Amino acid sequence: MKKRLGIISLFIMLFIAFITVWNFSYEQGREEAYIPLKGSSLTPIIPSETGVFRRAEFALDYANMPFDKEHERSLETYYDNRAFHGAPPSIPHPIVETQNIGGNSCLKCHENGGFVEKYNAYTPVVPHPELVNCKQCHVAQQNNTLFKSGDYLKVNAPSVGDNNVLITSPPVIPHQIQMHENCLSCHAGPSAPKEIRVTHPERINCRQCHVLNNKEIKDIGVFIKEIKNE
Amino acid sequence: MSATLTSRRIFIKKMAATAAMTAAMTMFPGIIFASEQLAGISEGNLDWKKGPCRFCGVGCGILVGVENGKAVAVKGDPNSSVNKGLLCVKGYHQTMCIQASDRLTHALVKKNGKYVKTPINEALDLVARKMKSTIEKHGKDSVAMYTSGQSTIPEGYVASKLMKGAIGTNNLDCNARLCMASAVTGFLTSFGADEPMGCYEDIDHADYFITWGNNMAEMHPVLFSRMLEQKNNRGAKIIDFATRTTRSSTASNRSILFEPQTDLAVANAICYEIINNGWVNTKFVEDHTTFSKGLTKMGYGLEDNYSFTDKPTKINFAEYKKFLEDYTPEKVEKYSKVSAKDIKYLASIYGNPNKKVVSYWCMGMNQHTRGTWMNNLVYNIHLLTGKISQPGNGPFSLTGQPSACGTAREVGTFTHKLPHGVVTNRKDREMAARIWKVPVERIPAKPTYHATEMFRAVDRGDIKFIWTQVTNPLVSLPKTKRYTAGMKKDSCFVVVSDVFPTPTSDVADVILPASWHIEKSGLYGNSERRTQYWDKMVEGPGDTTPDAWMTIEVAKRMGYGDLFPYSKENHAEEIYNEYRQFHEGAKHGMAPLEVLKKESGVIWPYVNGKSTQWRFNSKYDPACDNGKDFHFYGKPDGKAVIWQRPYEPAAEFPDKEYPFWLNTGRVIEHWHTGSMTRRIPVLHKAMPHAYVEFHPDDAKALSIRDGENVKVISRRGECVLPASINKRGLPTKGQVFVPFFDENMMINDVTLDAFCPISKEPDYKKCAVKIQKA
Repeated sequence: MKKRLGIISLFIMLFIAFITVWNFSYEQGREEAYIPLKGSSLTPIIPSETGVFRRAEFALDYANMPFDKEHERSLETYYDNRAFHGAPPSIPHPIVETQNIGGNSCLKCHENGGFVEKYNAYTPVVPHPELVNCKQCHVAQQNNTLFKSGDYLKVNAPSVGDNNVLITSPPVIPHQIQMHENCLSCHAGPSAPKEIRVTHPERINCRQCHVLNNKEIKDIGVFIKEIKNE
Repeated sequence: MSATLTSRRIFIKKMAATAAMTAAMTMFPGIIFASEQLAGISEGNLDWKKGPCRFCGVGCGILVGVENGKAVAVKGDPNSSVNKGLLCVKGYHQTMCIQASDRLTHALVKKNGKYVKTPINEALDLVARKMKSTIEKHGKDSVAMYTSGQSTIPEGYVASKLMKGAIGTNNLDCNARLCMASAVTGFLTSFGADEPMGCYEDIDHADYFITWGNNMAEMHPVLFSRMLEQKNNRGAKIIDFATRTTRSSTASNRSILFEPQTDLAVANAICYEIINNGWVNTKFVEDHTTFSKGLTKMGYGLEDNYSFTDKPTKINFAEYKKFLEDYTPEKVEKYSKVSAKDIKYLASIYGNPNKKVVSYWCMGMNQHTRGTWMNNLVYNIHLLTGKISQPGNGPFSLTGQPSACGTAREVGTFTHKLPHGVVTNRKDREMAARIWKVPVERIPAKPTYHATEMFRAVDRGDIKFIWTQVTNPLVSLPKTKRYTAGMKKDSCFVVVSDVFPTPTSDVADVILPASWHIEKSGLYGNSERRTQYWDKMVEGPGDTTPDAWMTIEVAKRMGYGDLFPYSKENHAEEIYNEYRQFHEGAKHGMAPLEVLKKESGVIWPYVNGKSTQWRFNSKYDPACDNGKDFHFYGKPDGKAVIWQRPYEPAAEFPDKEYPFWLNTGRVIEHWHTGSMTRRIPVLHKAMPHAYVEFHPDDAKALSIRDGENVKVISRRGECVLPASINKRGLPTKGQVFVPFFDENMMINDVTLDAFCPISKEPDYKKCAVKIQKA
């Protein structure tokens, strides 16, 4: 009798275990295939606004840095390196073709810049160091030849020195800022092209005074107020 | 490998070529060097004239470059301790609006439904005749004036003298009611004296800046840049406490978001923590404070002729402590959506005796149906910890308009105010009567209409004549739909003085052409009690006339000429000298004109040739005479009041039918209703129209794309705007935000005219709306 009870209770336990496991996996199966993504940061990030303040911790160093006139970059070389105004610059120096991703190679120099003896120049600073697959957009120019010639129209980049409306008013921002929201990376420090190097990097909140003049906007017609007669 | 070598050679060659070019081009005209701004190099033959900026309450010093009688440039005044040579984008371009092609250059009188260009003298005749006949027919209280926190001190002064001293009605209020009234009642209830005790120099001393619902990076940008400077130089910290993620949040050390209206509860929870952890500065609290409570469940002023008077009752510390037990961080986190940890973090900053803390706020706390309470609650925090009236320690209420302090609050262009004190006080009336040389009985002792109620009275037909100056109420009032319809009624004769046509001038019977800022002399007073004088810099076009002079001309035509014995050329100076008599003494002494002409502004109280930077602190303030370290002399017992103020819900909040909070506000590019800044091409291009901001999750749930037109609908009206997602700001989930500068997209048709019962200031930050695709 005892033996029979033992066997029965064993089967009951097995049966309960089966029910439990079966229910659990059934419930698991019922879970939605899509698990909503959760934002990682506590403070929501607004890309176009947050970027401005990046590198602000270096602003004072930039302000105190002496000019190294001999090794200054100019806007001409800056644009020479780009297929058109706003295009990602190509890599103008030899690189060792490896499987490295930017974090281990490019960013070592381009995250914070510095003087490179070998090229007798200062390293330009990247405005978006969080994107580490650099060679996704930036490629080396291996050679100077063309496969077939073409008549690609190169639109002139905005000129410098005529972006302010009054003689003392701050110039507007004549370029798009997507991917280069961080002003200081190009406009401050020794690698900044001298024509666009800001004299007051310590101000940080650049867009307090400098506003975009080419916002992508939906046209709502010209704003003209007319006196209505009733 | 050879290929890379070639490119390297090219590269080095290029570098050499450009190095040669660099030598030739050392300076470009677009870049202006700080040292050269001072030295005045390479600026041509400009004559630089000093004044305050036309726009916000920060009150930056500007220098306007004048060439051949035209304003051609603007730069920051390096001698001004406010901005030290820096401005914001509005400030730099401000003078460009004068040349707008639709500038009002001549008086326009509506005849048979058409505006007819009229000589200014005839138009002023008509205004005076109409005002006089209205008073004769319907009594003194049937005429009203609605002025501005952007009026100069002389403009506010003559308006007050005409209405209260000459005509004898308290029907004078101003748009500062819409922005600073809660700050005033906050100061008066807590300290008995209006305006901040500290000054901007606090920024250079503080360890922490806590901003309450305040996007300073856009609204007070020059002060924010000073804070950022301190953040970088000294490691000062900025804590942003807000309902919306903004440019300020992204630049601050910490951003804490809360559910609209629950700031009341969080402030009480901070006080609870301070007391519970023994962080109270006991000696300060015992020596310098008393405790009070007022009435609760006051209502929201939604009905016409609503009135409320608070009844303060003294309580003791134990009662106050008991009251705070409802506001433990754990209880408050449930409805404020601020974690108990964050509340404790905020309390620990205020409670740390070794850290100096300044609190900043502006419209977030003032435009609040419990705005007075909210101001009181932040003062409570500073009073409990004794962090007040010392360099780097103190609550600081920021002002929106350039002379909301100087004109609206100090001259008193409110219905209940006089240049010194209030109409209900006999002594104050006697003083005004003596200086104005009018019989004291003429000044009525009872206040009449505050801003919202004034336009309700126009709508009801009680007010038959209204004159607005330097303001655009039909864009800036809440629930404009009702008030625009009211102003259009034939029962009221509407006179509008302005520089440009606006939706308000659209309903006017007479439009008077006003001089702009630099086309007249005047004085402004900023947030830190700094009075700034400027001289007329350029001639205005056509018949344009300073507002003060138009008021004087009308007064003369009504037969009050002997009360207004000022000269056309020098009236601003003469009026200021008369006005100064109201504030003589150590508590509010104003600097003499000669000093103001030399300096880039002077802070009052100006005593024995010295500015008082920190009031109520005997080290700095000669008016303290109780022999102790601090003296809150605004109150008869010399003690500040810690108020017991509970949390109460907003007048309207999201429900099933209207599921979103609507928050409104400003952007850096535009000044208030945009009548000036939208006429400045740089600013218009940078911010051409309004928008409605969504949280990305809400936008996704409603399947709204960025830029798509949507309709924002409330119980009062609707407005179509393009959606903005992840751009300038990011509201919390369940909230939408719309800037109010755009008269083509009138969000104030949608807002609610509920107001703080004590201050009568409307709440533009909270009402319920629903969203539809347009």
